[in-house]
Amino acid sequence: MDGVTAVTRRTMLRAGALLGLAGLVGPGLGRPLRAQAQGNLSSLGPEESVDATMKRLFGSRPIRDGASLIKMELPLIAENGAVVPISVEIDVPMTPQSYVKSIYIISDKNRRPLNARFSLTPAMGQASIGTNLRLGESTDVRAVAEMSDGTLLMTKREVKVTVGGCGG
Amino acid sequence: MAEIGRVRIKVPSSIKPGDVVRVRVLVIHPMEIVQRRDGKPMDKNYHFINRVAVIYLGTEIAQFETTQSISENPFFSFTFKATEPGPLKVTFLDTHGGTYEGATDIKFS
Repeated sequence: MDGVTAVTRRTMLRAGALLGLAGLVGPGLGRPLRAQAQGNLSSLGPEESVDATMKRLFGSRPIRDGASLIKMELPLIAENGAVVPISVEIDVPMTPQSYVKSIYIISDKNRRPLNARFSLTPAMGQASIGTNLRLGESTDVRAVAEMSDGTLLMTKREVKVTVGGCGG
Repeated sequence: MAEIGRVRIKVPSSIKPGDVVRVRVLVIHPMEIVQRRDGKPMDKNYHFINRVAVIYLGTEIAQFETTQSISENPFFSFTFKATEPGPLKVTFLDTHGGTYEGATDIKFS
């Protein structure tokens, strides 16, 4: 009888320890990281014009011209719209008091204009990101930077796309 | 694509404390685009990466929300300030619940 209780208790303890561990394993970050199984049409951004996207993202907040601060590198002519390299660098210091909070990349003529949103923190030292875009056709590409105080800066440039990349 | 989810991560070979370091990372992924039939988009669970997290010394320093308008085998570059030696991890999450991770150790030389 004693033995049985001992085993039960041990099992219970082990189960408890496992549960505790499971609780700890979750990433201890600001925003929860969850694998989201959401690729359905309804969870994609809506197919809309770029004006509707800008309105959805920024409402009626004023957007300043940031051409002097935002350095956007993008080919003038992209032969293949499926891979268009872009790099965006914002020439402001990244301090905890004032930093670039997000960078949005928006392609005017894609069916879903928002390409990506980059959320940054002061720990990055510099607001400079790069990626490869998909562009459906020749289009203006905009980079919008949102500062930590809410200021919006924007710059845009046209890219000629020879063969569309069926951008989403 | 058998190699789906393989992550390549590159940092400069020599890093000094306090440097702003440029990291380049690439993941093998199809980034499925919306399929159309008779001009109408088909509804299905498209397979693409929609979230990228950069974790340095256990703290999330950046998060990217991506869409299908990022090319196949997505590539990202970003910078971070190397304050202490330790792990730098980049995690990719896709719409089918996949999680792909690339990590490298930041060492000073």
